[in-house]
Amino acid sequence: MVVDLAQNTLDGLMLGSAYALLALGFTLIFGVLRRANLSYGPAIMLGAYAATWVNLQFHSGALVLALVTIAGATLAGAYVERLCFAPHGRRSRSGEAAAVASMVGSFALWMQLEELATLWLPKHLYGFPPLYDGPPLALGPLTLRVEYLAMLACAVAVCFGLHRLLNRTRFGLAVRAVVDQADAARLAGINVPRVFMLVFALASALGGLAGYLIVAAHEQVTPMLGMWSTLKGMIAMMLGGLGSLPGAVVGGLALGLIEAHSQWLFGPQYRDLIAFLILFALLAVRPSGLWAMLRRSPAPAP
Amino acid sequence: MDEYALGVLTNVGLFSFLALSAYLLLVAGEMSFGQQAFFGVGAYAAGIGTAMWGWPLPVAALGAMALGAAAAWLVGWPTLRLRGLYFAMATLAAAEMFRILFELFHYQRTIDGELVGPDGTQGFRGIRWVLERGIEQETFLAAVWALLLVVLAAFAIVERTRLGATLRMVGEDPELAAVLGVNVARVKLGVAAAAGALAALGGALYAHHNTYVEPRNFDIMLGVHSLAYALIGGLGTALGPLLGVALDIGLLESTRVFQGYRMIVFGGLVALLLIVRPRGLLDEVAVSRIAGALRRRRTA
Amino acid sequence: MSAPLLEIADVVTAYGKIEALRGVTLAVAQGSITCLLGPNGAGKTTLMLTTSGILRARRGSIRLAGEEIAGRAPHDIVARGMALVPENRLVFAHMSVTENLAAGAYQRRDRAGIDEDIERLYGRFPQLKARSGQQGGTLSGGEQQMLAVARALMSRPKLLLMDEPSLGLAPLIVEEIFRIIAELNRDGTTIFLVEQNAHMALKVAHHFYLIEQGRVTFSGSPGALAEDEVIRRAYLGSTKH
Repeated sequence: MVVDLAQNTLDGLMLGSAYALLALGFTLIFGVLRRANLSYGPAIMLGAYAATWVNLQFHSGALVLALVTIAGATLAGAYVERLCFAPHGRRSRSGEAAAVASMVGSFALWMQLEELATLWLPKHLYGFPPLYDGPPLALGPLTLRVEYLAMLACAVAVCFGLHRLLNRTRFGLAVRAVVDQADAARLAGINVPRVFMLVFALASALGGLAGYLIVAAHEQVTPMLGMWSTLKGMIAMMLGGLGSLPGAVVGGLALGLIEAHSQWLFGPQYRDLIAFLILFALLAVRPSGLWAMLRRSPAPAP
Repeated sequence: MDEYALGVLTNVGLFSFLALSAYLLLVAGEMSFGQQAFFGVGAYAAGIGTAMWGWPLPVAALGAMALGAAAAWLVGWPTLRLRGLYFAMATLAAAEMFRILFELFHYQRTIDGELVGPDGTQGFRGIRWVLERGIEQETFLAAVWALLLVVLAAFAIVERTRLGATLRMVGEDPELAAVLGVNVARVKLGVAAAAGALAALGGALYAHHNTYVEPRNFDIMLGVHSLAYALIGGLGTALGPLLGVALDIGLLESTRVFQGYRMIVFGGLVALLLIVRPRGLLDEVAVSRIAGALRRRRTA
Repeated sequence: MSAPLLEIADVVTAYGKIEALRGVTLAVAQGSITCLLGPNGAGKTTLMLTTSGILRARRGSIRLAGEEIAGRAPHDIVARGMALVPENRLVFAHMSVTENLAAGAYQRRDRAGIDEDIERLYGRFPQLKARSGQQGGTLSGGEQQMLAVARALMSRPKLLLMDEPSLGLAPLIVEEIFRIIAELNRDGTTIFLVEQNAHMALKVAHHFYLIEQGRVTFSGSPGALAEDEVIRRAYLGSTKH
């Protein structure tokens, strides 16, 4: 019984690290640009599809496939940024209408990118070479899959890396200034549209990394990857607290734990139901998310 | 008229209810990813009414609308304080909960030796009230559009009254509305319930047109699509969402020119359109210009 | 006097259909402190935002040291040697005082020069030095004003724009701010300043303009108009248009 609980917790954390990685990229865009990017998952999917194609043609190694995924996702992300986000962010006074237009535009491109991917590789399922081909690790009575451990390590590394980037570099200073007071940042000589573009590219690249690790762990690629990634990223971000990087990790891990335990307690059909229920309840009661709750900060107005 | 065209026109009508539902909420200032849940509630409720309890379709549709309004109220009440993306995510979560509940919902009866009723992920077959009465496709199409016109007339009337102005004010500046004495919470809940009823009506008709529905029909894609229709068509008038639906389902899906490339074309067009017209084709500016031109023509 | 550092000619800026600036023309002489006075809503802040590039003029020309800057992006304009201390300060509330200053020097790459400037500004503003590690949002109004000025100075501008530096500050602090303005000017910075506090502004200005309802209605040196007349028009606007 205790072993089951421990195993489920471990599984949940492993699953959650994938969600955390997805959430980090999504959060970066939302935290800096204050916009939701509905094409986030589809861009990742295109990257994964590109890697799948490369694998089909050349049977390349893990590093090449990872780089292709990241490059593909970043390129797709750049396309989305130029078409949907750059045109609507020109002046600080754009307001909510521009945010909604960006989001709907990104939804339109979601449809576009998904169709592109399925036209490129039409099958419902493609195999994908795993990152690690050996048996899972054994920790006493518990099993640990190495790929998921890699994901967790990546999520933590990315979180630290981003922290250093934001707090110790000139670019990070610019990003924080833009988040703090976009107009004052403009007046300080910061090229705000360029900052947005670079942050978007970074977020897309992170998404690509997450995508590669996820498809390598699942050992398959399906057309559902686009919606799945966006959804999990958004839910994890919401759970953890909108726009907070540590919140993204906390939210991702929390989502993983919720799913693992729900599935074990109530069966797979109830797993998503409970996750959505908890998300709904959290939004209704404490929209600032779990991270804010943990730090006991007052709930800011949503 | 050939059967295919009839089908397309009917679908444009049916999904217009859903798009109008999203539009109503948008005007009141809330972006909902979840109206498809009430579309589904309406479909299942009306289906159960006619196929399992022997009710006539109009009665079942009314019951569906009531249930849709109640469900929308249930979602709207806890989320009153939420705005923007928070509200959107909450509606998405709620809608997915409904969809999963549809997947878990088993309620079947043997009628005339056949097993009828919602069967979880297998869906709900045998919603044949329209077929059993020999109602022609054209008649059904006319009924759908007649109802739609009634709804549009209602929208037009409300736009001209204080209620319409109140709704738009709540949408644009809720703080100002509150200061002016508007009970913002009550307005939002009322709008949510009305939007839920509207979507449910569409769903009820949809179920009887297709004779079969399954939980997968009411997924996130449908919800985001209906929001997109409202936004693309324009927020200046209730005709906007219809335009959005007509453009996607009417123009692009039916014209086989874009077979297989439909979303690439539509998606690209929408993104480009929004750059030039962030509030949709028939936004407030366009509507006032058209109204002005019509007025001048009349007085000339 | 030398050639104007800043020339604004017939600038029109609108918010949708509402024209906030209806053809503004003025010039700021090199080395001077030039002041724009006017009541609330006359267009002072709109002019500052248009000149610094945050807003786009619908018509007209803005030339800095002879070069056209109308329509350029704000960071471009900073690169050409102009910096704005905005209304309400807009300090970076979640960044430390030192980081605020570093942000002001964003376009500069000379690490040593930046550090030197920070030290120099801390010398001039000892209150800021005392709070160098504190977050910008925790400073008092007067300290935030100083921080905003110091941040703008970090880009070593030829022309410093200031939007209502006295807004919301206690009289003693206001005096200190204007003392700093005079000092900065003596040390070589041209200053174009927008104010409602006509009394303090006229004490330091070499030249002033009055703006009312989006147009410049008077141009002259302090003393050209009786002070109470100036103050009346700065607060209430003139009755004849």
